[in-house]
Amino acid sequence: MNIIEMKDLVFAYEDKTVALKDVNLSIKRGEKVAIVGPNGAGKSTLLNVLAGFRMPFSGKVFVDGKELTQSSADSIRRDIGLIFQDPEDQIFMPTVEEDVAFGPRNLRLDNIDSRVQAALRATGIEQLAKRKLHKLSYGMKKRVAIAGILAMDPKVLLLDEPTSGLDPRARSELVKLLKGMDKTMLIATHDIEAAAEIVDRAIVLNVSIVVEGTMRDIIMKKEVLDQAGLEMPPVSKLFGVLDSMGYPVETLPVSMDQAVAELTKVIEREGRHLHAHVHEHDHTEDAKHAHKHIVPRKGADDART
Amino acid sequence: MHIPDGLMDPIVALIGMLEFLAFISVAVYFSSKRLQEKNLPRIAVLSAGIFVAQMLNFPIGGGTTGHLIGGALLAILAGPALAIVGMTVVLLIQSLMFGDGGITSFGLNALNMAIIAPLTGWGAYTLLKPLASGVGKVGSELAVAAAAWVSVFIAAAACAAELAVSYAISGGAYGIAAPVSIPAMLGYHAIIGIGEGIITAGVVGYLMAVSAETFITSQDMPAAKNRWHRILASRTAQATLAVLVVFALALPLYFLYSSQGEDGLERTMTDGDVEEGDALLTSPLDYGDSYFAALFAGVIGFVAVVLASLGILRVMKPMTRRD
Amino acid sequence: MIEAHVRGHRARDEEDGSAESSWFWQLDSRVKIVGTFGLVVVASLITRPEIVLVALAAAVAIAAISRVFPKRLLVAYAAAFPFIAFASVSVFLFSGWERGFTMLARTSSCVILLLVLALGTETFDLFSGLRRLRVPGLITTLLMLTFRFLLLLSDELERMKISRKARGFSGGRSLLDRNALRVISFTAGMVLVRASARADRVYEGLKCKAFERDMKPWRSTSVGAVDVVFLASFAIIAGLLAFGQYGALS
Repeated sequence: MNIIEMKDLVFAYEDKTVALKDVNLSIKRGEKVAIVGPNGAGKSTLLNVLAGFRMPFSGKVFVDGKELTQSSADSIRRDIGLIFQDPEDQIFMPTVEEDVAFGPRNLRLDNIDSRVQAALRATGIEQLAKRKLHKLSYGMKKRVAIAGILAMDPKVLLLDEPTSGLDPRARSELVKLLKGMDKTMLIATHDIEAAAEIVDRAIVLNVSIVVEGTMRDIIMKKEVLDQAGLEMPPVSKLFGVLDSMGYPVETLPVSMDQAVAELTKVIEREGRHLHAHVHEHDHTEDAKHAHKHIVPRKGADDART
Repeated sequence: MHIPDGLMDPIVALIGMLEFLAFISVAVYFSSKRLQEKNLPRIAVLSAGIFVAQMLNFPIGGGTTGHLIGGALLAILAGPALAIVGMTVVLLIQSLMFGDGGITSFGLNALNMAIIAPLTGWGAYTLLKPLASGVGKVGSELAVAAAAWVSVFIAAAACAAELAVSYAISGGAYGIAAPVSIPAMLGYHAIIGIGEGIITAGVVGYLMAVSAETFITSQDMPAAKNRWHRILASRTAQATLAVLVVFALALPLYFLYSSQGEDGLERTMTDGDVEEGDALLTSPLDYGDSYFAALFAGVIGFVAVVLASLGILRVMKPMTRRD
Repeated sequence: MIEAHVRGHRARDEEDGSAESSWFWQLDSRVKIVGTFGLVVVASLITRPEIVLVALAAAVAIAAISRVFPKRLLVAYAAAFPFIAFASVSVFLFSGWERGFTMLARTSSCVILLLVLALGTETFDLFSGLRRLRVPGLITTLLMLTFRFLLLLSDELERMKISRKARGFSGGRSLLDRNALRVISFTAGMVLVRASARADRVYEGLKCKAFERDMKPWRSTSVGAVDVVFLASFAIIAGLLAFGQYGALS
C-alpha cells in the first residue's frame, strides 16, 4: 500500500488563487521523492496540505490509508513529520535536548531519553545535547529541528527546502545525512543537485505536475526545465558541453558524485590509471593531481553555492 | 504606572486582587469561544507586540520621553475580552520575569492597566466610531486618539485614587497623599496620553492600510432574539456598560475609605508613632473631598473628552460632506 | 527601561555560566516561587521602622548570597526607583522622615526579593514551576508563547531601530514633532504585522510536535534537601518579621 496517495487534489487560497491543480501523486513506503519547481509553484503548499494545515478544496488525500479531513488532521500529523524551511519557527525549548524531547513528551511516548539520544545520533549532533539553542549556527539549528521531528518517529518526513540558507559544508553534510537516512521522504526544493543525490524519483511541480521521473530524465528535458523556471546544474552543463565537443558521455550526471562515477567509468574504459584514487576521494598527491586535471572540484563546489 | 510591592495599603491591594480575579474570570468566560486553540498564538503575539511597543519611547519635550501603555490599542484591535487577557499576560511577564510591578500589587496593576485601560479605551472608541465613520480618515483617527487618551487618563486616575486611599486608611504608612498623587498622576498622564493617542491612531491607521483583515476583528454578534437582547447586543449599550463597570470598580475603594479613612488617620496619629508636628506639610484638602475629587476628575475627564470629540466630529461632518 | 530588562535577560545566559551553577539557580522553581512570594507578602505588611530595616537587610543578604549579578539587580532596581522615590518623598513630606524611610526600605526590600527570583531563575523553569503549582494551563501556555514571541520581536525591533537610525531618524524632540511620532507608530505597526505573520508559523511548528493547548510541567525536578533548607530559612525569616511587626504590638 502506498503511504501517501493524492487524487485530483485542488487547493485554492481564500483570495481564489489556485495554488495546486489536479495533483495526483503516490509515494511508496521507503521511497524518497523530490518535488522541484520554482518559487510559488505550490511546493510548500503541497507539504502543508499533507501535514493537515490546509484543507484540500477538492480531491482526496490519504496518508497510510487514512483520509485527510478536518477531524483527522491532528491524528494524521502523528504520521507526518514536517520540517520547516526556517528552523527558527520550529525550535522552541531553551536547550537542544529539551527541544528534541518536546515532541515525544507531548505524545507521551515511553523511553524518551533513548529516543532523544537516537535522534541526536541520527542527525550527528550528540555533542550538542546540553547546548543553548539560540547560540547555535543556522545549520545546526536545522539539524535540531530535524532531530526534534525524528524523535517522534513519523512514518514520512516532509522537508521544505532543506538546503536553503546553508553554507556549502553544512549543505553537503545535510545531503549526506538525508541520503543515508532510512525513511520515506518527500523533499520540496529547487536545489536540483542536492535532490539528485538524495532521491529516487522526482516530480516537477508548477501548480500541476509537469513531469515525473528520475532526476536525470528531468534534466534531459530542456523544455520542461525552462517551463518550470529551473536551471540545469553546473555539472550537467559542463558535461553537456563536453558531450557536444565529442567527449563520450554515457549518462548525463546531475550531481558531483554522479560526475565522479561517470568519469571513473570513462577513465576505466580508456586507460585505467586513475581508477582507485578518484573513486576513494583520496587526498594523496596522485588523487589531487587527478582532481586538478579531470574534475574541476573546487570550481564546481563554488558554482553550486 | 507599575506599582511595586509594599507601596499600597495591604487592604487596598487585597481589594484590587479580588476585583481583578473576579474580572479576569468573567473575561476568560466571555472570551472562551474565541480562546480556541487557534487564537492562542494570536493573543500571545498581540501581547508580545504590546510589550515591545511599550519599549518604544516617544519624545514628550525637554529631553524627557514616555512610552505606550497599549491598553486601548489592544482593545481596538482584539476586542475588550481578549485585550483583558492579553494585557494581563503582559503584566505577568513584566512582574515575574523582569521584576517590573509586584506580587501583592499585581491585582491593582492589572486592574489599572489590563482592565480599566482597555475597557475605557474600547468604550470610548465604540461610542465615537459611528460618528467618526462619516467624517473619513481624520475622523476615525481622532476617535482612536481620543479613546487612547481617555484610557491612559482614567487608568492614571484609578492609580491615583488607589494611592490616595492607601495613604488615608493607613494613616500615612502606605500610598501617596491625595494632594500629591492626584495632580501628579493626572498631570503627567494627561501629557503622556497625548503621545499614546497620536501613536495609537498611527498604529491603527497603519494596520488598517496594510493588513486590516489580520487584526481588526469583525466581532460578529448573534442575531438578537427580543428587544432586550437587541439593546444588549448593540455596541453602544455594551460600551456604555463597559464604562459604567469601570466606575463601579472604584466603589469598594470608596466604601473602604468612608468606613476607615478618617478613623485610620486619627488612630495612627494617636498611636504616638508620629507626632503631627513631624510632618512638614499637612493636607490642605479634606481627604473625603480629595478622594471624591479623583473619582470626579475621572468621570469628568471621560465625559468631557467623549463630548468634545463628538462635538468636533459633528462639526467636521458637514464640512467633509461639502467637499 | 523594559528594553534594558529584555536585553539583560538575553545577555544573562550568554555572559555568565557561573550564575547557572549557583545554588539559587539550581533550586526547584516551585520552592523558589513559594518562598519568595511568601516573604514578599510578609515584607509588604511591615510598618515598624526597625523591622523594615531587618527586612531590607534580609533582602540584601539574600541577594548577595544568591549570586544574582549585582549589576543587573541594580539596573533593574534603578528602573523601579523613580516611583519608589516619588512615594517615599511624598510620605516624608506629609508624615515625617520616619514614615518616608519606612516606605523606602519596605518597597526596596520587596523589589529586591522579587528581582532575585526573576534574575535567578531560568524563564522556562519559572513557567514550569508555575504550572506545577496549579496555575491554569491557559495562562502558562500564553506566558510561554508570549515570551517566545517576545524574543523574536525584540530582535525585529532592534533591526528596525538600526535601519531607522541608518536613515537619519533621531527619535524626535517633543510631542509636537509629528513626523517623529509617525515614524514611531509605523515601527510599532510593522512589528505587529511581522509578528502575526510569524505567529501562525511558530504555532504550526508546535503542532508538528503534537503540542496541545496545555503546557505540561516539563522540568521534572524534585524537592531535595537544599530546597527544604531554603524554604525553611525563608519561613523562619518571614516568621521573625511577622513576629516583629505583630507580636511586639500585642
